[in-house]
Amino acid sequence: MKVSKEWLDQFIPLDVSKHELSETITRSGIEVDDIIDYRETVKNVVVGYVKECEKHPDADKLNVTKVDIGDETVQIVCGAPNIQADTYVIVAKVGGEIPGLKLRKAKLRGVESEGMICSLEELGIPKDLSPKEFEDGIFIFTETDNITPGQNALDALYLNDYVLEYDLTPNRKDALSMIGSAYEARALFGGEVTEPDQSFNETSDTSLLSVSIDDEESVQYYGARIVKNVTIKPSPLWMQIRLIKAGIRPINNVVDISNYVLLEFGQPIHMFDYDKIGSTKIVTRYAKNGEKMTTLDGKDRELLDTDIVVTNGKEPVALAGVMGGDFSEVKNDTKNVVIESALFDPVSIRKTASRLNLRSEASQRFEKGVSHVFVLKALNRAAHLLEKYAGGEVEAQLLSDGTLNLDDTIIQTSVSFLNKRLGLELTSKEVKDILDHLGIKAEGDDELTCYIPSRRDDLKIQEDISEEVARIYGYDNIPSTLPKYSKITPGQLTDAQVKTRSMRELLMSNGFSQAINYALTSEENIGKFTTLNEGLKLNMPMSEMHSVLRTSLIPHLVDNAVYNKNRMQERIELFEIGNIFKTNGQTKLPDEIQKLAVLSTGKVNDTKWLNTSHEPDFYHIKGIVEAIFTEFNLLKDVRFEATTDYEELHPGRSAHIYLNDVNIGVIGELHPTYSKAHDLGQTTVAEIDLEHVLDKSESIIYEPIVKFPSISRDVALEVPRDVTSQSIIDLVWSLRPDYLVEIYPFDVYEGEHIDNDKKSIALHLIYQNKEDTLKDSDVKEAHEPVLERFEKEGFTIRE
Amino acid sequence: MNHKDIDMDAIKEKFESLFKDVNDRKQLDDLRVKFLGKKGTVTTLMQHMKEIPNEDKKDFGQRVNKLRQSIQERIESGIEEVEARLLKEKLERETIDVTLPGRQRPIGGKHPLQHIIDSIEDIFVGLGYEVYEGYEVESDYYNFEALNLPKTHPARDMQDSFYISNETLLRTHTSPVQARVLNAANGEGPIKIICPGKVYRRDSDDATHSHQFTQIEGLVVDKNVSLADLKGTLELFLKEIFGQDREIRLRPSYFPFTEPSVEVDVSCFKCGGKGCNVCKQSGWIEILGAGMVHPNVLEMAGFDSNEYSGFAFGMGPDRIAMLYYGIEDIRHMYTNNLKFLEQFKYIEERGVKHESI
Repeated sequence: MKVSKEWLDQFIPLDVSKHELSETITRSGIEVDDIIDYRETVKNVVVGYVKECEKHPDADKLNVTKVDIGDETVQIVCGAPNIQADTYVIVAKVGGEIPGLKLRKAKLRGVESEGMICSLEELGIPKDLSPKEFEDGIFIFTETDNITPGQNALDALYLNDYVLEYDLTPNRKDALSMIGSAYEARALFGGEVTEPDQSFNETSDTSLLSVSIDDEESVQYYGARIVKNVTIKPSPLWMQIRLIKAGIRPINNVVDISNYVLLEFGQPIHMFDYDKIGSTKIVTRYAKNGEKMTTLDGKDRELLDTDIVVTNGKEPVALAGVMGGDFSEVKNDTKNVVIESALFDPVSIRKTASRLNLRSEASQRFEKGVSHVFVLKALNRAAHLLEKYAGGEVEAQLLSDGTLNLDDTIIQTSVSFLNKRLGLELTSKEVKDILDHLGIKAEGDDELTCYIPSRRDDLKIQEDISEEVARIYGYDNIPSTLPKYSKITPGQLTDAQVKTRSMRELLMSNGFSQAINYALTSEENIGKFTTLNEGLKLNMPMSEMHSVLRTSLIPHLVDNAVYNKNRMQERIELFEIGNIFKTNGQTKLPDEIQKLAVLSTGKVNDTKWLNTSHEPDFYHIKGIVEAIFTEFNLLKDVRFEATTDYEELHPGRSAHIYLNDVNIGVIGELHPTYSKAHDLGQTTVAEIDLEHVLDKSESIIYEPIVKFPSISRDVALEVPRDVTSQSIIDLVWSLRPDYLVEIYPFDVYEGEHIDNDKKSIALHLIYQNKEDTLKDSDVKEAHEPVLERFEKEGFTIRE
Repeated sequence: MNHKDIDMDAIKEKFESLFKDVNDRKQLDDLRVKFLGKKGTVTTLMQHMKEIPNEDKKDFGQRVNKLRQSIQERIESGIEEVEARLLKEKLERETIDVTLPGRQRPIGGKHPLQHIIDSIEDIFVGLGYEVYEGYEVESDYYNFEALNLPKTHPARDMQDSFYISNETLLRTHTSPVQARVLNAANGEGPIKIICPGKVYRRDSDDATHSHQFTQIEGLVVDKNVSLADLKGTLELFLKEIFGQDREIRLRPSYFPFTEPSVEVDVSCFKCGGKGCNVCKQSGWIEILGAGMVHPNVLEMAGFDSNEYSGFAFGMGPDRIAMLYYGIEDIRHMYTNNLKFLEQFKYIEERGVKHESI
């Protein structure tokens, strides 16, 4: 809503500075987004009278004029096609200013020019708001009675003014009109609001026209008046300029009057050509599915049964509240007009307007619900203006159907409630004074009965009253306190939250940076690095790239790696903790599974001068993953089992991760084909389902430090190449050797001196008696069966 | 040779002159053998014993022993001396260039959003709040309807959403967590929670818009919660984050799930309110939206809105991080450029210190 100060003053004179006005309005609930002040951008611009106009000797498109600008007559070269002698025009004088230009004497094709004859656009009025006839040329005054050469052009143009641009929140539909803005100003600055003149002379004629509503749910009230014998012509300049300042283009007096009244009262008005309606009745109803009509923009519309139409009893003459129909439109030859002022169902209007993409000043207001109290005032105001500025004769009868409830609504509240909710200690009188400013009458002492005028029918519950009291009382005046809780509860993070934080710290301490990627991804990433083969799809994606919810975190980490590699990053180590989405069907909520993914590529362990760097291999990432399991004391329950399930991973260097018997993740080097396709070198990734990891971790169980020395034995085995170290270690443990406390591989060898299908694994076994010093003979007794078992398995024990 | 001609002092002097030149353990051992060994100078002196008259034997023996003893002691102390000298020389040879870089143990960067979210969580946990995360894919009910946004509500236009089906969508705000926590509370307070998380809107990505961003929502519901409590809580919080000199101001606003609703501005932390490019010359930075929980929201979740009241607030860590660090493009948050992330690996001081006591 754009509010002209000069227009607002007509409703309620306000003697405050521009700054105070905008600041006070902003601080009490309506954000003044911008102030357009013509006085700041247009200076020393006057009315001029073109005395002579002749062709420029050396330029076809230019004219040389002599213009009376009050104290002198100057020569001005003008290029506008519509310049002519004996007209009043806008002249920017030498030394004057228009937006973006300071005027100086100039020579145009050899001819002196002292000043500039201006178009409205040159004064800062958007071209699409200028009246059509002046769109491509200079502005020419058509009302010349009260203007004189040399007069400030801003005065003559009603632009000695500034306009406040309101950014209204959806609940402040009450301020979508001049009168509403005036009531808001009254609440803030005091004074009284004067309504514009709604009087007219009724003729004794009554035409044959009936109005009826088919369905009161769609149309609560429909009012109409007939105005005969109007003359279509431009509306008065002041009206045109006020419309322009409000952002509406002037068309002709009838159309302008409907827009003008809409701005005054926030009540959309529609004008029909009475003679083109095609019947003697107006009937409102829901449209039929598939019913067709042509709107006044010339477009054919197919309607739904949720659209409301105004009909002539047979076919639609208007799409109610949204746009008129073509054949009943007011045109230049229109003589008799039907003014419509009605209450249409907001939800229906919103659906229709948004489906047909027809958001207009009218539909916007109907969508939010218009105030009952202004329906007839607007209708009468339109009749008044048609009589005055279109020479119309207003017929006696108000045609109407439906009900117009003008009663105030009542909200019960109490001063103590308001104080409690706001944390204030206002007296009953203070509360009632504030409400009185808002035009809300309140009766009672502590218990208050508040009478809400229909222009504020956005106020429905006592909490709404609390907001009105708070904003008028001033948020700055509200004290700052802390809640006094009924019960003290400790604040704390959950175990899972603490563990997640700790995991992040661990990863960062190991050189991994924290990535956050989009959850939306492209279809091609679905099923990559996961056994989930189906993604949850958006029903209307903005792009293919962001059309489906990710099923793995790894594809985006790979993209991140490519991005960083292209920017010369040598070591790329990233992790992300985030959700993946397992679809349960397109209409159901998915399972959101929190995952950790890690990626490493480039040079790791890179101390340049020591030449220590290497590419991250499987064991590099496995080490990180094991560190995490170690932190959560889960390492002993974790197994890695080789897998060839993933096309994206190296078939010989990837594994599933099991926690106890649950598959909780995948780890591996990228398949060389996949990494090559992404222009990456050796790259290793892992992804772990955190739900299971965060779920379990054990308490720390302290054990006294064993005082007795341990004894170790090394054994080197030659085994088939496909025998895993884990299986050998599992085998040893399955024998439950006495005193065995630890076993680990310390050397693995393949190559020379060993058959191609064999490898050598050397194991280190540590024996310890926690209660006594271990004797060699005890170890021998425990270790012998292990060696025997190795031989039984066909492993060769190497000397 | 007559034993009387034996000049023991000369032997000692000879030893001393040789000892001076000893450079390592071996030379020292050789010296010992030369003087004290079986055929050593001192040992062979005893061969003269038989030539010595009985009355002089004792004296001669004592003199030889004294000489042996003194050489012995000299050699023993010499071992330590030489070894110390040798070690010193060895260490000198081992001197390294201490200015060369160490074996790199790189540390990674913490995402700036995480910095902001963690510090906000910590402040509120300190105030007795709990942290709830909720779901990114939500039902229309929890995302809208339970928050006083029925299907026909015009404010639904304010947040263009990514729908998956008619009833499911990517959450447009973290407020559904509010609704879920309220629902689970069985009509009983107090509730004190904050809810950080990812949210999604139908926006084309550019420097200031992102189809995915983060939000932190806060909710307090109890028997006597007022707008003044909201103001006090946010003032305390914003001073913790942006500095104790900050002021806040509330401006009326509109959200369907709160009534009254306010926008909260904090005085500019860069210019202190004088006006600069961060606050667009206004001296104030719009930082969060808040309000008193709408009674419909309480009632739908089974709370008696006459007995209980509450406040809620919501803010965008992306925006806060951008303001706080001066990040110029929101897309940096989701591009994961290491040159960006690694700038956030440092611990920041928050200006909290105890005076010494």
